[in-house]
Amino acid sequence: MKRRPPWYRRWATYRRLTAAIFLACLVVGSFAWFPFTGSTGATRLANVIPFTDPLAAIESTLSTGNLAAPALIGAGILLGAAVLLGPIFCGWVCPLGLALDLNYALRRLVRRRVFRRRRQTPVPTVVPWSIRYAVLGAVLGFALFAGLPAFQTLSPINLLARSILFASLWGLIAIGGLVVLEWVMPRVWCRALCPLGAVYSLVGRFGLLRVRIDPAHAGRTPCRQCSTRCPMGIPVMESYAMGGRSSVTDPGCIRCGDCVDACPTAVLRLGLRGTPPGDDDHPGRLPVVPDGECEDCAA
Amino acid sequence: MPDTPEHAEPAFTRRQLLMLGCGLAAGAGLGIVHRTYGAPTPIGPLRPPGASADFTSACIRCGLCVQVCPADALRLTDLDAGLDTGLPYFVPEDAPCTLCEGEPALRCIESCPTTALLPVADTRDVNIGEAHIRRGRCLAYHGEECTACWDACPFPDEAIVFDEQGRPIVNEAACVGCGLCVPACPAEPLAVVVRAADTPAPVPGDGGGSGGGRGSGRGERQRRGNG
Repeated sequence: MKRRPPWYRRWATYRRLTAAIFLACLVVGSFAWFPFTGSTGATRLANVIPFTDPLAAIESTLSTGNLAAPALIGAGILLGAAVLLGPIFCGWVCPLGLALDLNYALRRLVRRRVFRRRRQTPVPTVVPWSIRYAVLGAVLGFALFAGLPAFQTLSPINLLARSILFASLWGLIAIGGLVVLEWVMPRVWCRALCPLGAVYSLVGRFGLLRVRIDPAHAGRTPCRQCSTRCPMGIPVMESYAMGGRSSVTDPGCIRCGDCVDACPTAVLRLGLRGTPPGDDDHPGRLPVVPDGECEDCAA
Repeated sequence: MPDTPEHAEPAFTRRQLLMLGCGLAAGAGLGIVHRTYGAPTPIGPLRPPGASADFTSACIRCGLCVQVCPADALRLTDLDAGLDTGLPYFVPEDAPCTLCEGEPALRCIESCPTTALLPVADTRDVNIGEAHIRRGRCLAYHGEECTACWDACPFPDEAIVFDEQGRPIVNEAACVGCGLCVPACPAEPLAVVVRAADTPAPVPGDGGGSGGGRGSGRGERQRRGNG
């Protein structure tokens, strides 16, 4: 039995595609004919509609006491999208999220093929994820008292974008350091450190896009593939699927769909809140594995 | 694996508020230390037109101005600039600011999402800095006939005028500091240098004591830049 959906039916494919398209747009954006210009801090569509990193707008406002109209409108658009849908920026747009996601995929591949570790382990949760609120507080405090937007200056997100767009060598070296760190402690930046992720998760908690759980089939094959794969270290199976929940409501959830891709059954689904959680006709999902036939857990 | 519903849905709880508070305190402490002991942003690099008094505070380092610059003059500082990383600047020897000649507006100011670059009513109101002519190097001051800087100047007869002997003189009140005269200069080494206007705000609480230090630092930076 095939364990996972084919590549063209995985959320990961489309998630990586949107993030790659965003990055490609930024690269092409330096040409005057292209209607989308900017970097991760701020972009502009057709030279009129602004999109501004909400944390950048907050930092600039705290540093100077002034809030310019494009920063307000641009941050409002992105925050509004997060309120409506959830913290989708992290998985679907962020270039650093894409880079670290691919880095994590490579790490899994190397562990499986080179070190012959058949069993994957969940991301380590040694660093508590609430640290990112401390990072957020420090960024805000520094902006207020030093008058400098320190996170916009040194954030790995901006460093990566700058090293690609403006050929910054030091930025690439810093990103390389982060990649090395993530081989030791996978996904620690996005899960536990990123203050922008903290902002998005604060406002996106009640977003409409959710990982939905089919209560009729939840827990029939407690294989833990969803919890093992979750880049944010959320115990999807233990806390949500086995807990009788209809959707994953963890504020850390970035709606990346990795647990849905990993699920060998039709229990998990990425969908809108309020829709029926179970959907047997959902395209691309495999039927529920009969007991004793799951390759991974032999349940 | 046991059922552990108590892990579910950690809301914005006391622990996260505590984290946020600790972070705020740490950031505020670092901020006060930086403001008291940190080196102020050196005056020296030429900033884009319209740079406001609190340019380094307002700029979110997005690089949008660099992306839209039609002259490809603007660049961003790299990580070796510390907390000034990602600030836009230009080097007139390589690519001067053309003041968006032929464009409907100054593109960098138009694109800036924050108050780092403020709109100017007219390109004559731009104050990037002032050009200075080094008379020891200038060909016109050595008896040759040369009007290269005047020819390149966007405001000839206002920003650059000639004295009775045909030697160029910069009118600092009218010069915007675009640097168009710099690459036009035929002298070797260049006889024109643009000095930045005092765009970065003085650090609040920074007394007059360090003023001399900043001044001399500025001079050094410029000498290095021209060497």
